Amino acid sequence: MARTTLSLSINGECHELSVEPSRTLLEVLRTDLGLTGTKENCLDAECGVCTVLLDGVAVNACVLLAVRCRERSIVTIEGLAAGGELHPLQRAFIDHGAVQCGYCIPGMILAAKAYLDEDPSPSEDAVREALAGNLCRCTGYQKIAEAVLSAARAAR
Amino acid sequence: MRRVSFDYHEPTSVREAVELGARFGRDGRFLAGGTDLLVQIRRGQLGPRHLLSLHRVPGLDAIEIDGTIRLGALVTHRQLERTLGFRGALEALIEGAQVVGGHQIRNVATVGGNVVNASPAADVVPVLLALDAAVTLQSSEGERSLPLDAFASAPGVTACRPGELLTHASFPRLPAQSATAFLKAGRRRAMEISLVCVAVRVTLDASRERCLEARIALGAVAPTTLRAHAAERSLQGRPLSDEVLAEAGRAAAAESQPISDVRASAPYRALLVATLVPRALARCRERIQEAA
Repeated sequence: MARTTLSLSINGECHELSVEPSRTLLEVLRTDLGLTGTKENCLDAECGVCTVLLDGVAVNACVLLAVRCRERSIVTIEGLAAGGELHPLQRAFIDHGAVQCGYCIPGMILAAKAYLDEDPSPSEDAVREALAGNLCRCTGYQKIAEAVLSAARAAR
Repeated sequence: MRRVSFDYHEPTSVREAVELGARFGRDGRFLAGGTDLLVQIRRGQLGPRHLLSLHRVPGLDAIEIDGTIRLGALVTHRQLERTLGFRGALEALIEGAQVVGGHQIRNVATVGGNVVNASPAADVVPVLLALDAAVTLQSSEGERSLPLDAFASAPGVTACRPGELLTHASFPRLPAQSATAFLKAGRRRAMEISLVCVAVRVTLDASRERCLEARIALGAVAPTTLRAHAAERSLQGRPLSDEVLAEAGRAAAAESQPISDVRASAPYRALLVATLVPRALARCRERIQEAA
């Protein structure tokens, strides 16, 4: 299958790649670029651990072809702590003990970021709804919702 | 993704898309949001040799609401949810769109994909059925339009011919004294395939006493989404008392052909239809009164 050369903007950095068109963004991030903060699990767009931001919008990287990300801007969890300083959402997750096994957390935080960027003063219900596409099998939803709400309050 | 391979194309116009569609025929497949298609490809349920991505075709993501309402094939569920013009009489479009998947899915999954995928449990399709929607199909030979009601014939099976592109769905503006409602039953509130979903549309006469016209569409109770025609007829010309609505619910349950599966039993699904149909109709009745 013909490979395609591709330039991807990830966390503000431009990457030149040669990929097969069937490769998902998730595979390219984890395998080609070593950005393993984006997790892999169901591959069915059900669980949300592969959530990344595409032009600021939360999407599942497991059902997104890398070739379709040409000329778009991607943010992964690695891109959130600019200059080594934790993003307020990351700080809030730590402060609230919202991280258990941790596997769902990169996706949770990115989905929460996308949501808070458009609604900075959400209700708890709205936060829970915004995170409905992210499953936590430790079932730590309460503390996760509290962390997101607290990050929202702190940003106001 | 499993060892799958395909050639990938990015047409930049409908014309180029349908020319590629004609060239590849059964070996080609149009790619809209991809949230269903890429999963089906990975699972080996579909093996197209050519994927024709539509995201560079201009205009397919447009919603037009002047006169006839037109939803481009690439309109996302998120766009539907946020279209202020649907508030009011077309509320069911918002209600149907906002229960699909989570935000990540709704940001990407499209109306066209939902229709072409022809899942019997599609949520937005019953809403479009209740609105008497038609779909427009474009091929290198020309354009044709079909009632949505005649589009799907079995799970995943549609009237779409190889190489034919669904460009948009459209439906007429609703008459005065009309309302719509959508209800879904699932085991949880999000990321859930419907056990049953129900979309209804009611138009009352000028005095808001009798039903001029009703549409009742059901999801997840037959091999395709479907209209409950007998239930619709049972409402025509009658005042919408609770008893009349309950009767329509029973008629709709009798028209549904649910199966038992891991999600619910057939009798339970029939019961849900008999319950949700009157509830959705009552909501329309309230909405028309409130708007008056």
